Amino acid sequence: MIRTHDSLIVQIIGRVLIPLIQLFGIYVLCFGQFGPGGGFVGGVIVGTSLVFSMLVFGLDSAWQRIIFRVIQGDGVGLLVFAGVGGLCLLAGGEFLNYTELPIPGLDAASRRFVGIFMAQLGVAIDVAVTALSIVLHLADSSRGYGASS
Amino acid sequence: MRHHLPVFVFLLPFGMAICMPLISLVRPKWCRGLTMLALAAMTGLSVMLYSHVIAQGPIRYALSGWMPPLGIEWIVDGLSGLLLPLLGSLALMGVWYAGPLVTEGKGSIHFHLLTLLLVSGLSGMVMAGDLFNIFVFLEVSALSSYALVGSAGGRALVSAFRYLILGTLGASLYLLGVGYFYAVTGTLNMTDLADRLPDLLASKAVMAGFIFMLIGLGIKMALVPLHGWLPDAYVDAPDSVSPLLAPLVTKVALYAVVRVMYWVVGGEEVGETLPILTLSSWLGAVAALVGAFLALSQQELKRMFAYAGISHVGIIVMGVCLGNPTGFAGGIFYLLTDAVMQAALFYIAGTAFYSLGIRTLADLGRLRGQMPWVIGVLIVIAISMIGIPPSGGFFGKWYIILGALEAGNYIVVGGVVGATLLTLGYFVTIFERIFVDSVSSGPAVLAESPLSMRATMGMLAAASLVLGLMSDPMIRLILDHAFPG
Repeated sequence: MIRTHDSLIVQIIGRVLIPLIQLFGIYVLCFGQFGPGGGFVGGVIVGTSLVFSMLVFGLDSAWQRIIFRVIQGDGVGLLVFAGVGGLCLLAGGEFLNYTELPIPGLDAASRRFVGIFMAQLGVAIDVAVTALSIVLHLADSSRGYGASS
Repeated sequence: MRHHLPVFVFLLPFGMAICMPLISLVRPKWCRGLTMLALAAMTGLSVMLYSHVIAQGPIRYALSGWMPPLGIEWIVDGLSGLLLPLLGSLALMGVWYAGPLVTEGKGSIHFHLLTLLLVSGLSGMVMAGDLFNIFVFLEVSALSSYALVGSAGGRALVSAFRYLILGTLGASLYLLGVGYFYAVTGTLNMTDLADRLPDLLASKAVMAGFIFMLIGLGIKMALVPLHGWLPDAYVDAPDSVSPLLAPLVTKVALYAVVRVMYWVVGGEEVGETLPILTLSSWLGAVAALVGAFLALSQQELKRMFAYAGISHVGIIVMGVCLGNPTGFAGGIFYLLTDAVMQAALFYIAGTAFYSLGIRTLADLGRLRGQMPWVIGVLIVIAISMIGIPPSGGFFGKWYIILGALEAGNYIVVGGVVGATLLTLGYFVTIFERIFVDSVSSGPAVLAESPLSMRATMGMLAAASLVLGLMSDPMIRLILDHAFPG
């Protein structure tokens, strides 16, 4: 369990900053195809904003239990990534060859656009959830690794 | 569809690994079955892949359709195709063997997930067609093996941390070497490098890079002066984990050395500026002798087997570094045999502890009359480790010695013979403890191990004999398809 930060300044600044950070993270994720950025960086920024909000507003044990169940699914992002690659395989192209994505009504360039974006989205989800899960495991020593097995 | 087999061989364990946390939420009991299913499917596909490669030549797979040298390329040829079924089948047996050892619940999920990741990392390393991807998969497999070693907690955490530090050092040195190569040639693709490097071998940067790579991978494969991490890591790892790591991790690092030495740099060409092959074969001789000598003085069963593994890595290095086809084939054949023998040895050590609590040589007398199956397997594996004719170990050493005589490298001949004598020495110690020592325990009660342990041990003992009987076609297969050029 993480307690709420007791400084009013931190809380109010957090309330303003967290949406901005998340917006910036999503921007970096989407902009990754045209310039610096991409799934990993965007995921780190979104994940950091989630960690920040946890540290500022605290986390009671009921929520913590829910989040621990949710981060069990930290493979979902990778599944999205592998799924996009697998769709290309099913359509007869090489793994991750987005021109072969079976989406009707799109030309090759747009298929590449959609494919790379989906793959980056998968990476972003995975990185954000991993950042969250590292912090949660550090915060909750009773669930630490090594003691569990 | 056959063209896509390499990526399926990788995706099966990898995809199952990322599904594992979700599966564990819904059906925790299915983890083991699904892991074994994925590994069995991977083994089947890699056998198909190998037969395809033998029939129709190497497969070059350009990931995401970007053509090499710009894109990432996976190559499955006669050598990597030979290792993939070995990886899959030994991992499958390891998971089957570990059934009674792995506790239900969270520990089981971690074990199966990390094993799948380890196997996918190793198979990626085997198939990688460029130097940087070898590094990436080296790290994937290494990170999962650190976690596997540390999963026992307690002392194992210290060993795992030491393994992590030294393993990371090895990976960084390898990466440094790759950086030198890239700076000089501007490419990472192996085929491309092999085209450009012969003119540049006089360059000191290439030489330095090559030596960095050899040292880095030398740490990973525990070549003797760099073997410090291995014994503690394998001894303190849980009994379910050490038979997975011992046959696979060091051997695949050794495979990477062979790949770089023969396919990228070209062993003979490099020999003109720096006798790297001869030097490595001498290092192998030192490793074989020192490892076997250290094994001789161990009192703990698992530690003795860990040093035996170090000694046998030296023997393989001697074989592949002779630079002639006979020695190379002998070395690769010995690599296959040694993987089987290492797995079997750690199965034996794990079973002896599981059923009777035996950890040290002093307790071995209690095996007599209580575990005939374990003793039988130990005798077969000892025959192969020492190198007595019908076994795989004999033919591997035979071809290595033939190759060494062909090359006139008498240090290697001495190294193999000396290591054989020392191996005989430590197995005589083991059998003396089993059959001669008087034990004060009560009447001998049959304390046989669970079926999964007996079955896997029996299969590996049979495999080491079958490898020996099949050595002629195997050697021909290696000579025809795996030897470069």
